[in-house]
Amino acid sequence: MSALRRGVALVVLAVGALTGAGCAADDDGRPLVVVSTNILGDVVEQVVGDEAEVVVLMRPNADPHSFEISAREAGRMQGADLVVSNGLGLEEGLQQHLDAAADEGVPTFVAGEVIEVLDYAEGDAAGTPDPHFWTDPARMVDVVEGLEAALVELDGVDADAVRAQAEAYLGRVRELDAELTRTFEAIPAERRALVTNHHVFGYLAQRYDFEVVGAVIPGGTTLAAPSASDLADLVTAIETTGVGAVFAESSSPDRLVRALAEEADVEVDVLPLFTESLTEPGGGAEDYLTLMRVNAERIAAGLA
Amino acid sequence: MPTRLAAVPALALATSLAVAGCGADEPPASSAPPDGPAASASDDHGEVAGAVEVDEPPLGLTTIDRAGVVRHLDLLDETATDLADLGRARAVHTDGRFVFAQTPRGVEVVDSGVWTWDHVDHFHYYRAEPRQVGRVVGRGPVTVATTSSSTSGGSGLFFGSGEAVMLDTGALADGEVVERYRLDVAPHDGMLVPVGDAALLTEPGPTGRAARVVVLDAEGRPTGEEHPCRHAASTVTTRVGAVVGCADGALLATVEDDVLQVRRIDLPPRADAPAPTSFAGRDGRPTVAGLADAGRVWLLDTREESWRLLDAPVPLAQVTAVDDDDEHVVGLTTDGRVAVIDGGSGDLLATTGPLAGRSLRDGVGVPTLVVDQQRAYLSAPAERRLHEIDFADDARVARTFRTPTPPLLLAGTGR
Repeated sequence: MSALRRGVALVVLAVGALTGAGCAADDDGRPLVVVSTNILGDVVEQVVGDEAEVVVLMRPNADPHSFEISAREAGRMQGADLVVSNGLGLEEGLQQHLDAAADEGVPTFVAGEVIEVLDYAEGDAAGTPDPHFWTDPARMVDVVEGLEAALVELDGVDADAVRAQAEAYLGRVRELDAELTRTFEAIPAERRALVTNHHVFGYLAQRYDFEVVGAVIPGGTTLAAPSASDLADLVTAIETTGVGAVFAESSSPDRLVRALAEEADVEVDVLPLFTESLTEPGGGAEDYLTLMRVNAERIAAGLA
Repeated sequence: MPTRLAAVPALALATSLAVAGCGADEPPASSAPPDGPAASASDDHGEVAGAVEVDEPPLGLTTIDRAGVVRHLDLLDETATDLADLGRARAVHTDGRFVFAQTPRGVEVVDSGVWTWDHVDHFHYYRAEPRQVGRVVGRGPVTVATTSSSTSGGSGLFFGSGEAVMLDTGALADGEVVERYRLDVAPHDGMLVPVGDAALLTEPGPTGRAARVVVLDAEGRPTGEEHPCRHAASTVTTRVGAVVGCADGALLATVEDDVLQVRRIDLPPRADAPAPTSFAGRDGRPTVAGLADAGRVWLLDTREESWRLLDAPVPLAQVTAVDDDDEHVVGLTTDGRVAVIDGGSGDLLATTGPLAGRSLRDGVGVPTLVVDQQRAYLSAPAERRLHEIDFADDARVARTFRTPTPPLLLAGTGR
């Protein structure tokens, strides 16, 4: 906080204390919708358009589990006309504020409550709900329909305008679903496997008939002086699935590709996917539809 | 870390703003872990660098030498950085991020600036600027008990003088030493173990040794609940919960639906081996290992709530459990080799050459084993070496790092 801005804060505080009012400066008469994740933020903005003021709490390129909010944002949440969250345990760091807003009587919309929930299939979290529903556009259709119903109820919005925007966006999400179906059809059935250390593609796999093969992706300390045993888990996953690409977050994908070639005689590409956050504009996944398309193209290109 | 304010007036301002519910640019309202680089861009103090999320574990070896210099070796780029100069340090503990060093004046806390956040279904990895956080004053040897989170909850310190101090871990992440509470109890070799918002505190019996644990609430007040734990001697946190070792077994404390549960895991009946006096394992796993004596290894599975005794194939000075699919157990032999043991059969799978023989023979520093999923690390103080061992590949020494001074104490960080 610069000295100047701190000064402003103090003045605002003083005014607030004197009048006993909240933050009138933010109030332009439109209802306020506060959204937790930036993926849902994009979707809400598409549906509500200019009919409400939308505040998205999670910044680009952040981690939905652990991002933190300012006291001001927490305060705005309490004064919101609707709070939209992902739910299913995604927003761990934010949950206390979500609960507090709900306790204050702020209307809430939880995406996880309007979809058919999938449980994690494996690992320590097996059997617990998987919150990453957005990797399936059909689930997102359910969420958009639920959002539409919640948003048209807000005082001060033009319900017809919201309905029209929701219909238009639903069309685009359904189009995305159809497009992904076509894109993935190019991948032979026997190669529809995502060998990955990402944990978010359970819903996508169910929708488009992929098998998710979790694999240990050797990282920095291992690749510094690798042995065949370091790569065994990944090599087994690659060989049993016959894929030509693995999808992994790796800070040194080139080193991994080289190690696989040298130590195990395996030739694959190592490709990253977008997972839990939109990027800044120009970052490659600036909105939900783009994020999904880019991932689908990378998967199709890697496995074709 | 985003918009962290250490100065008291700023915090007071933040509190007022939180009440007013509006303002310009306040610190975070929660003590949850930091988000990515984008949010830290709003921090224009220039005083505190932001935490950034990274793609893989930012593993490091943080050592302390005779002069008290805290040195951090980055295992990814192989650079070494001096983090602090503490003067003489006698022991060290880490939660994978903070280094708690026992000095003549108390405990110095150093933030290694690297950590892993365990979400159970996956992990997130962070880097921030390392820094010396501050001192906790206390007298006598200290036992430190930490949780699996290095951004929230508490860290418990128990000094031999009977000073039991619960630190606010979230405040450590913000660069401040904040004592949630400090209790003066009967001096003994005890511990204060955080479990969720609650804690377990040992109490001595008539002999002066720890005889039981009492449950404390979030403010450090006894709840009235207590559990016998004769000769409580060690504590460790596993994926399942907090473990306190007793002479006849262990207590396992977990929080389920906001309620503290303490269960007893008795040693097997007719076990003629003493309970371990220390536990070690891989972060995020349920099973830990400890020595009954040089010839026998206890494995405590906190998920199955069971003990298993293995005959050590070679005499051991230290042991830890990898708890992977192959049930690897890694030990330091009494002659300074790293031994890889099949935790299922007790068979010796491989050993390195003598790596820390001189350190053990001459009593130089504390040679220490740290394990992760793929590698084990061993500090060899007298030899001035840090070794990286590939336990799954015939105990191959993958890398060796020379150190400028003897690394007397070792903390595995970025975990």
